Amino acid sequence: MSMVRFEQVSKRYGAAGRDALNGVSFELDRGELAFLTGHSGAGKSTLLKLMMMMERPTRGQLFVDDQNLNKLRASQVPYHRRKVGVVFQNHQLLFDRSVYDNVALPLQIAGYSPVDCARRVRAALDSVGLLQLERRNPIELSGGEQQRVGIARAVVNKPPLLLADEPTGNLDPELSAEIMDLFVRFQQVGVTVLIATHDIALIERMGKRRLILDHGRMMGDTHVSA
Amino acid sequence: MSAPEHRSGAEYTQRKVVRNDTPPPTRKPSSGASAQNLGFTARLIAWLGHHQLVAVETLLKLLAKPAASLLTWLVIAIALTLPGGLWMAVSNLEQLSGSVQQSGRMSVYLKPELSVTAATTLKQRIDQLPGVAKTSLVDADAALAQFRENTGLADVLDMLDGNPLPAVILVEPPLDLSRDALLALQQKLADLAGVESVELDLAWLERLNSLLALAQRIVLILGILLALAILLVVGNTIRLAIAARVDEIRVVKLVGGTNAYVRRPFLYTGLWYGMVGGVLSWILLIICWAVLHGPVAELASLYGSGFELQPLSASAALTLLLVGMGLGWFGAWWSVSRHLDEIEP
Repeated sequence: MSMVRFEQVSKRYGAAGRDALNGVSFELDRGELAFLTGHSGAGKSTLLKLMMMMERPTRGQLFVDDQNLNKLRASQVPYHRRKVGVVFQNHQLLFDRSVYDNVALPLQIAGYSPVDCARRVRAALDSVGLLQLERRNPIELSGGEQQRVGIARAVVNKPPLLLADEPTGNLDPELSAEIMDLFVRFQQVGVTVLIATHDIALIERMGKRRLILDHGRMMGDTHVSA
Repeated sequence: MSAPEHRSGAEYTQRKVVRNDTPPPTRKPSSGASAQNLGFTARLIAWLGHHQLVAVETLLKLLAKPAASLLTWLVIAIALTLPGGLWMAVSNLEQLSGSVQQSGRMSVYLKPELSVTAATTLKQRIDQLPGVAKTSLVDADAALAQFRENTGLADVLDMLDGNPLPAVILVEPPLDLSRDALLALQQKLADLAGVESVELDLAWLERLNSLLALAQRIVLILGILLALAILLVVGNTIRLAIAARVDEIRVVKLVGGTNAYVRRPFLYTGLWYGMVGGVLSWILLIICWAVLHGPVAELASLYGSGFELQPLSASAALTLLLVGMGLGWFGAWWSVSRHLDEIEP
């Protein structure tokens, strides 16, 4: 079964607004890594938001981990979000606490014991190469390091699906390549990854599947294997 | 109201919660560890642990920065002290009216034509009645002498032919006789042959009682209004606390925090506001009592009464505290349910 399945999904903001997404259908297999590209305003963020249930579709159905998201009640949304790790361009870190506490947040919310929590946080920080910075405040870190803290937080409770919205948007090419390598490594251990980006040069070099959005429509889908 | 500073965000951290001895679940990364995969017991322990942690940390945070919350505390304390103090005063007066009510002395006026011997016989009959503790006969001559002495109207009396005053039997019922029994006794005495009328002066007592009922109603209205004021004050303080932590709430919701999880620290904060306000109010009432106790006793002694202002009882103090905590919690809940849903990632 697929990890993500969109069936003729449309999303319109406001009653008279333009369709941000229009009849979008695609599938992502378990353990697949794909890029989502398109001009700004093409609907990349909307598509990710639908999967996070930050928005609900106007028409159509979407499934994540075989769960029809239209059928989830509002009270079930938090439990759905625990299955989806998400990385933002502006990383959404909290500057009132340490790197460790930022990464531990999803585990504390899910109710992990402190011992278990510490073990998983260290494993996540180690996987992004920031173990030595756990006591620091994220505000002291560089942009690339902050983004890696955001990735550690997204993967700390080992979600089956990892989404990233322009994760390299603020980074230079070298750091961007490092971040992308991280995503590939998560894919290699079985995580399904979908990355929205406009960094075409980087994507072409990596030779992964590309989903292309244009004005809310799915205009292209390339299955190229590396 | 000033918002307490909520910058450390420590409520959401969990460094020192209950240890969980169940071994960590081992699984492949792709299997999707999530809360549903934790056992029920582990989740219960985590839930209780989070309650305990949030309760302690929100309280410590409030107490660590008393200046930030002082205004809110004082407003709650004063809003609780006003109806609390009035209630204390009214229940004291009730006690006073109760003790007065027990001395329902009656004056039994005899018919003018009744002879002194007949009056004495009547007095003896009344003595035998149930509900009578003591009687004394004031015959017409003695009544006239008393009147002459007390009023200084001797000249006027001298102008009258004969004694206009009737003989009176003063009847004292036992102290514990109820109001209804007093009225029944009054009727019984009035029905006796040779009795003109029986006067039982309950009117002023009834006036006092209806005044007290009115005062209780006023305390109730005042209490409701001030309870609303507490809700508004706590609600507003919590609203500011929420506004100071919008980013944190957004991130917590994004990584799967339930509404209950997000709400919890704010509800406990409201609860503690109410508790501290209740304690301060109790202290204020003790001070009020200490200031008023002496003068009230002095005033009462001038009226020949041993009346003493009673301090707030332990159960009343506890009620005050619980009402404060309840209002604080409810104010926070009201604010949180209005503002938290607006914050969505």
